Amino acid sequence: MSDDPQLQRLEHQIGRLLRAGVLVSATALAAGLALAAVAGGHGSKPLLNAGLLLLIAIPITRIIASFIDAVRRRDTLLTWSTAAVLAVLTLLVIYSTYGR
Amino acid sequence: MLWSVVITMLAGAVAGCLGALLGIGGGVFLTPFLNLVVGLPLASAGGVSLITIIATSSVTSAKAGRLQVVNLRLGMVLEVFTTSGALVGILLIHRLSEATLRLAFAWTMAAIAVVMLSRIDRRNVILDSAVDVGRLGGRYHEDESGGEIAYRVKRLPVAFSASFLAGVVSRMGLGGGVLKVPALNAWCGVPLRAAAATSALMLGATAMVGAVDAYVRGEIVPELAAGAVLGVLAGSQLGFALAARSKAKSHKLLMVLVLAAVAVIYFIEAAR
Repeated sequence: MSDDPQLQRLEHQIGRLLRAGVLVSATALAAGLALAAVAGGHGSKPLLNAGLLLLIAIPITRIIASFIDAVRRRDTLLTWSTAAVLAVLTLLVIYSTYGR
Repeated sequence: MLWSVVITMLAGAVAGCLGALLGIGGGVFLTPFLNLVVGLPLASAGGVSLITIIATSSVTSAKAGRLQVVNLRLGMVLEVFTTSGALVGILLIHRLSEATLRLAFAWTMAAIAVVMLSRIDRRNVILDSAVDVGRLGGRYHEDESGGEIAYRVKRLPVAFSASFLAGVVSRMGLGGGVLKVPALNAWCGVPLRAAAATSALMLGATAMVGAVDAYVRGEIVPELAAGAVLGVLAGSQLGFALAARSKAKSHKLLMVLVLAAVAVIYFIEAAR
């Protein structure tokens, strides 16, 4: 456990986010696959895509939450490092969408 | 389609089980399977594999007692390097031909096998709990010994470089934990459990970068990815149960053999 009680609170929040995120996403993916198998694919795509996007959103949410938390705690090191990761993510989305 | 979803799910279960057993993401097994057996291009196979890595990273990190060992500060600083490495890897992968990529994959597999082989007999470092942990070091309570473990992070440039390198290869569907964990443990003074847990949490952010790229480009087949994720989640539960009662050394040797075999197959494929 980390010494800093505030960092401990962040640890708990991250744990909850990870568990809930995987649970919801896996449920959507399973429902989507079941629908694809029985109904010949009708209505399965939105569920499958929602499940995949939710999964991808888990680490992004963790980084945004950590950034906000670091700003609030005036933790310069973590503020800059989480901000840098978010900047990489922004560059990536621009490149993947337009830079082909 | 239904058939390939079913075999992808089974392959995911095997990869998830082996991954949990060996303490790795399982991408080293899933990517070559999707590429060679299911016939997806390497970039697409890597994308599906990365999606499953996000799932395993989240599940392993949220396991009871695991998050307390994670060094959040160190992890978030190193994520700057893994994610920017991943961005570089993306710039590279879309400029290389499938044949060159397969060769790059073969060399990466061979390198990982060598790293693993050289570390088979390594043990954890013994630590002094009175040490000043500094800005990036950590401290946690170990249940087995009942003691408090404290450590200081040494040789940061090594940790930065290993993280960057792990990021570069990640777009091929590899988490790169096998590169980061030995570097953090052997050179940077981070205890094995903390290194593994911190690396597992970082995997999520690293894999996310390549997964976003693959998703935006439409390289991820949703049905296959869904099957792989569900398979991996089920397989990793089995893996955790098995890992609790078996020896680590024979697993590592098995993994070296598998990696070497995959590398050889890719070298042969590339030579044709």
